[in-house]
Amino acid sequence: MRGADYVIRRAGFALLTIFVAITINFFLFRVLPGTVVSDLARVPHATPQLRHALTVEFGLAKPKWEQYLIYLRELAKGNMGISFATQQPVSQLLLNDLKNTIPMVTIGTLGAIVVGIATGILSAWRRGSASDHVSTNLAIAFYAFPTQFLGLMLLILLGGLLPTSGMENPYAGVFGPQSTMARLQDIGLHLILPALTLLLTLYGEFTLIMRSSMLETLGEDYVLTARAKGLTDRRVIARHAVRNALLPIATLVALSIGWIVGGAILVEYIFSWPGIGQALWQAINQRDYPMLQGGFLILAVSVVLLNLLADLAYFKLDPRISG
Amino acid sequence: MALAASLAFATAAAVASCSASGGGSGSSGGVLHIGTTYPIDSMNPFVAQSDYSYAVYEYVYPQLVQYSARLGITPDFARSWSVSADGKTWTFHTVPHAHWSDGKPLTAADVAWTINEVMKYKNGPAGQWAGLLEHMIGASAPNPTSLLIRYSTPVANVLAQMQSLSVLPRQVWAPYFTGKGSGLKTFPNQPPANGKPMVSGGPFELVRYKANQYALFKRNPYWWGPKPKIEGFGLQFFANADAMVQALKTGSVDFIGEYTPPTAVTALKKAGFVVTTTPSISMKTFIINTNPHKTTHRELLNPRVRQAIEYATDRGQIIKTAWLGLAEPGSTIIAPADGSWHDGGIKALPFDLAKANALLNAAGYKMGPNGVRIAGGHPMSYNVIFPPDERGTGDRTFQIMQSDLAKIGISISQQNMDDSATFNAISHDNYRTFDMAMWDWVPPVDPDFMLSVVTCAQLGNNSDSGYCNHAYDQMYARQSTLIATSARRALIWQMQKYIYAAKPYIILDYPDIIEAHSPKWTGFVVAPVMGSVNSLSTQTLLQVHQS
Amino acid sequence: MSAIATEAGLAGTVSRGRAGLIRQAIRERKAAALGLGIIAFFVILAIAAPLIAPYSTTARSCAVFAPPSASHWLGCDDGGIDMLSEIISGGRISLIIGFAATLIAMLIGGGVGIASGYFGRWLDIALMRITDYLLVIPDLAFAMVIADVWGPSLSHVIAVIAILEWATTARIIRAQVMSVKERVYIKRARSIGAGHARIIGRHILPQVGPLLMANTVLTVAVAIYLETALAFLGLEDPSTTTWGTILEHAFNRAAVSAGAWWAIVPDGLVITLLIMGCFLLGQAIEDALNPRLRVAHLSSRRWALRPLAGRGPDAI
Repeated sequence: MRGADYVIRRAGFALLTIFVAITINFFLFRVLPGTVVSDLARVPHATPQLRHALTVEFGLAKPKWEQYLIYLRELAKGNMGISFATQQPVSQLLLNDLKNTIPMVTIGTLGAIVVGIATGILSAWRRGSASDHVSTNLAIAFYAFPTQFLGLMLLILLGGLLPTSGMENPYAGVFGPQSTMARLQDIGLHLILPALTLLLTLYGEFTLIMRSSMLETLGEDYVLTARAKGLTDRRVIARHAVRNALLPIATLVALSIGWIVGGAILVEYIFSWPGIGQALWQAINQRDYPMLQGGFLILAVSVVLLNLLADLAYFKLDPRISG
Repeated sequence: MALAASLAFATAAAVASCSASGGGSGSSGGVLHIGTTYPIDSMNPFVAQSDYSYAVYEYVYPQLVQYSARLGITPDFARSWSVSADGKTWTFHTVPHAHWSDGKPLTAADVAWTINEVMKYKNGPAGQWAGLLEHMIGASAPNPTSLLIRYSTPVANVLAQMQSLSVLPRQVWAPYFTGKGSGLKTFPNQPPANGKPMVSGGPFELVRYKANQYALFKRNPYWWGPKPKIEGFGLQFFANADAMVQALKTGSVDFIGEYTPPTAVTALKKAGFVVTTTPSISMKTFIINTNPHKTTHRELLNPRVRQAIEYATDRGQIIKTAWLGLAEPGSTIIAPADGSWHDGGIKALPFDLAKANALLNAAGYKMGPNGVRIAGGHPMSYNVIFPPDERGTGDRTFQIMQSDLAKIGISISQQNMDDSATFNAISHDNYRTFDMAMWDWVPPVDPDFMLSVVTCAQLGNNSDSGYCNHAYDQMYARQSTLIATSARRALIWQMQKYIYAAKPYIILDYPDIIEAHSPKWTGFVVAPVMGSVNSLSTQTLLQVHQS
Repeated sequence: MSAIATEAGLAGTVSRGRAGLIRQAIRERKAAALGLGIIAFFVILAIAAPLIAPYSTTARSCAVFAPPSASHWLGCDDGGIDMLSEIISGGRISLIIGFAATLIAMLIGGGVGIASGYFGRWLDIALMRITDYLLVIPDLAFAMVIADVWGPSLSHVIAVIAILEWATTARIIRAQVMSVKERVYIKRARSIGAGHARIIGRHILPQVGPLLMANTVLTVAVAIYLETALAFLGLEDPSTTTWGTILEHAFNRAAVSAGAWWAIVPDGLVITLLIMGCFLLGQAIEDALNPRLRVAHLSSRRWALRPLAGRGPDAI
């Protein structure tokens, strides 16, 4: 596989997968028995005209393939439709929700990576010792805890000390002055529990990977050579082992995106975090097709793109493949 | 079923929990933090369906009348009213010299404008308000404090309808009542981006709104009624009950309303919070198909079978286990908490398995091989359609009914599906296929709506039972024109007896409303719909204060 | 996306007898024995559930959220039902869901992987596109939608999990099959004229078998995990008792605020324990199979992060 060739092939696959995702997403929701109309039109004393008007308004009377083409055309324009429940543009609503989800998820994931790498290195370097066993078993244990269980435990243990719901204290800026700094601090406090839950649920994975990866690399010839040359332990680690061991982490993070999304949904539900996970959850309850399609699409596209990035990163980093 | 915010909602505060106005030690000021698990779904009254959306409209927009603590209609923006001799014209005298929060005058003309504009679009985007304007011809305001509303026929519940009608500020809404009105439902109706509050005609104005998170309100400086004691309040949404109860315990909210679970009551009381439980007018129903054209299981049409099922319903056990005692036993379709509209003479059948068995034996349905009776050649085993609304307490209720019905030779199984699928399954093939279902109703105070859901006109719309009877329909039509309360009441009692005998529903119970607040606050006025903070009156938030 | 790396990584596969490998793995690795023991414990508990459970799981036997006592070791839940009985009986259904979903996923995944790897070309490309999509979409979100569409019943939950899990297996099996396919003795068999079925049955399957086994165990862990997540979000049949619905009921009926930690902690712990058991066993088998597996086919979904086995008994 040559460089440009590889990139084009992977990019092509990514685009195709996105297109398949869009199509399947669309039809998946139309298979639902019963439609939102029967919900929205069930107002007291509603006239048949009203119900008909709602059916036409949402295009639910047209044949499926026609609705699909309309959807594709609008999507190309960046229009994801109007939420059935709130009558507001889906893209605007989801963008707002994303803005709330991204900081929380990023901090949680980055935290997990840092903790994972640190504990993985520690375990590998002190292979066989007590700290290795403790660290490894803790990692496995946290890995095995269901995310919602972790969330509930944190709620029980830290519920009195830290804010347990929402993104911020709503009253602060309105019924009294609040500086931007104070507001950021407030959001930060609210972010701790959900991000911590995400961190704990993810980090174990990284620990195990890092550890194994390090163990393998530490046994490699070139590392033995470096040690033989008299380079200090730390420089041996830093320069060779860690850098190579980071390779799987890059791939792992990208592959974990689907998992991170799942974790985010659960965490947002437990802590009432107003993000895209909660939006998806409400859209499912309300049978809000456009929101569902939009939310799903955004999540699927993000995962595809991040996987593509990981492929390219892996390609660059692993000389065995790019060579 | 759960119509979370039917526009014909009216509230009556059945229990006044504290003396409100007057001097005393009640301090002024402060901000009341309210928590709920039912978010405001939209600030647009033509789109919103949720309870708290309507509670908010009650506090930011003027209504002509409101409900008093004893379920009577009392003045609000209309000081007094009268109806013409032929019952077709209502005259309201509104508060003089009132203003919107932006300083513009608020007069009877605003009410007339709202009504007339909505009438133009009631078959289209304003369809959600269509029910309020039944039989209405039009409205006019001959002078700033007089409003005339003309109907084509006498209408009994005009005042209840006007209680739900929010008067809209013309200066904000006029641009959307143009052309086809396509902008009417997409207008978010939120505080403008420049940071100013939304234009309001009620005691509070909406200052900040974040969808699915919170809504913050401050006193409206132009409010024409008694000044609220609090500076403002906030409505904060929680994704689940646990988070909401936690917030009350940690002090980040002062009051929690819907939906406080019965399982939190003991812990909250122990922690020193004031927990109020009050009977409500909502009800949980067990629906049995009454359609005479039913295709299968026609034994269900036999009134003895329905009675037997009711005899096998252990309401006491259901209330104890599923509701922890926080519900009242069911009887008729108009709840006791609805005041005199409820026919107290109707007594529900008691739990009596022997009588149930006797009835089924007399009907000739012999016990089959595996403990299930045979009727018309097939076993008496039925699917009970079960929507997500009923989860939790409904699951436990179902378990109890299932084991009791098994003892009289009837087997039922739970068929879970979501709201829309539930409605489709029930109304499928003109209500000919379904056997049984479980659902609930949260009706408005005026009984008109609840009586209407079992009329033929509501088939395919609000009817979740498929019940259709012309004699009953005639009674319904007549009561809707009886302006004289005692005559109307007598007829409504008759209708309740009629429905009770026909039994399209077995009313299982009327769940209590549960809410809790910190002892630092007082002045909550509880109503049998939604509790203290409701869409029926402005009493609670006008009177509440720190004690 | 990791196809290339997968193939590169599996190049060094050692071939051994299936049963012998597992026996060796268990003998050598205490972790494996522990894992197997845990799984066996829960299976026995599940089978014996109706005999062991002290109280009914549908009828009230104590006060709502009653704390642990002599008569109710783990207290009671929001409906006055004995928590210990619920956990014992719930394990049964959770395990059934886990095993059933995994079995289906393995059959489909194994079949697709073998077909794809063996026959190659257009079949391979088509099948891999499908698995690509399933690998890419976020698990839980997809499961939520499907459970919503089909309705919250047990069989639907099993089907959803199976749909999500077969893709990863297919990938791994395919990589393995492709590397085995290139071996000399396969080529010789083809040249003699042996049919596809015979080659697959006699030569490929034994090579793939152990890997499939390890994968199965790890997939059970994921299946259990997904089941609890779906139940927690209310997308499972609420009238059944599974480990997942126990947590859901606790949360929806304000167990945390009521201080009823016994409605949450024991349940979470047994789920964790079972998942750890599956993880330990599965990893141990893979360890024995393939000391030089690369990071290639790692997938968080599988929990089978098989980066490298390292050296000897210490490495994970």
